[in-house]
Amino acid sequence: MSTPRTLRYIFTLIISLGLQGQWQVRGQQTTADTTMVADTVKPKIKLPDRSGRHLTLGIDVAHPIIGQFVSGRQSWEFTADYYLAHDLYLAAVGGFGTSIVGYTDLSYKTTNTFLKAGVNRSLLLRNDSADWNNMFIGFRIGAANISRSGAAYTITDSLWGNSSGTQPGKNFVACWAEIGMGVRVQIAKNVSAGWFMSGRFMLNGKSFKDLAPAYIAGYGRGDKNSAFDFDFFVNYSVNWKRKAQRNTPLTGSSKTVSVEVHRL
Amino acid sequence: MTKRLLLCLSSLWLVFAACTQERQPCLTPKTASFNVVCVHLASDTATVAVDTALPNAVFAPVTQTGIVPLVYPLSASFTLSLSSVSDTCMWLFTTDSLKYALDTLRFYYQRQLTFLSNACGYTCFYHLDSFRTTHYNIDSAFILTNSVTNNVNTTHFKIYIHPDY
Repeated sequence: MSTPRTLRYIFTLIISLGLQGQWQVRGQQTTADTTMVADTVKPKIKLPDRSGRHLTLGIDVAHPIIGQFVSGRQSWEFTADYYLAHDLYLAAVGGFGTSIVGYTDLSYKTTNTFLKAGVNRSLLLRNDSADWNNMFIGFRIGAANISRSGAAYTITDSLWGNSSGTQPGKNFVACWAEIGMGVRVQIAKNVSAGWFMSGRFMLNGKSFKDLAPAYIAGYGRGDKNSAFDFDFFVNYSVNWKRKAQRNTPLTGSSKTVSVEVHRL
Repeated sequence: MTKRLLLCLSSLWLVFAACTQERQPCLTPKTASFNVVCVHLASDTATVAVDTALPNAVFAPVTQTGIVPLVYPLSASFTLSLSSVSDTCMWLFTTDSLKYALDTLRFYYQRQLTFLSNACGYTCFYHLDSFRTTHYNIDSAFILTNSVTNNVNTTHFKIYIHPDY
């Protein structure tokens, strides 16, 4: 991995952790301040999460657009995340893509499907239980099943003469880890948009020494052990109440509610 | 505020996407370098060889299309190549284009198809097995390194120029 790219990832990671730390401190201060007012609540009590169920389904619009400008490369990505509790989301991304390499001295085609699974952690305090706008960091583990066609090659030699041949097709499995940061903003009722930029680190890069795929949908350039990419998602959200909320509507004293607003 | 941030960073992403290149430049040597060094023994009984900058050395590959003489003025190190279309190749060699007869160097090797990168494509590396030579200018010769790759810093073959030179 080249040094500038490493520095870029480290910088992004530091910024992300810094932001997270800042908001955690803010959250603690707010809780502490409120605790002074509401003296019936002990500081260390973990309050129940009062948010409802929240499922988001989305599609990445960035890569199909890029595919119109970069020849021989197509990628479709679909995302889903589900709110667990306490600012933690379960996230999954799946998709497929193709890549066609058509150079004069090298030509082949790859197709792949992929699946990524992980978690998102929100960095922003929410205004209320219906506020799903957020900035988050995410970690995922990804895997792709890649099929490469036979590769036709030509070795150019002006002195001895050119030679050419074909390498047989092959199937690969790629595994990588991904860490990133994103933003999501509600733009209409149940519709939101947002981006996710991430650094990706190949875990089994040695298996690609024999003609690494030029492009792996969901990862990026297959001949690099690290990649950096942006996704831009348009999402549709589905919300419903938890079972406890349906049975017993939330009630409580004004003191208790004043704390819960900050800890949703 | 968050929406403005989103729009700004979306613009940044578009700039990033627009800069994506079709094919990365090839930054590694695509051809395997076969590096030869010439040294000189002062006499038949001498044991210490000295580097010999040949005044007007000529290396000429014998290819399918003919002989292509390559002249190297005042040099003791030479970068040649092996044929990627055959398991043997022949070079003609003389220390001085005007004074001495031509020696024949024939190399025998195994070709190894090697993938460099998507930017560079494929190339041939070689495993040098043996060689044969005549002895007009050449006293003796040795293979120093069998593996011939695109590493330009490795010396593969050493030629001892005849003491009479």
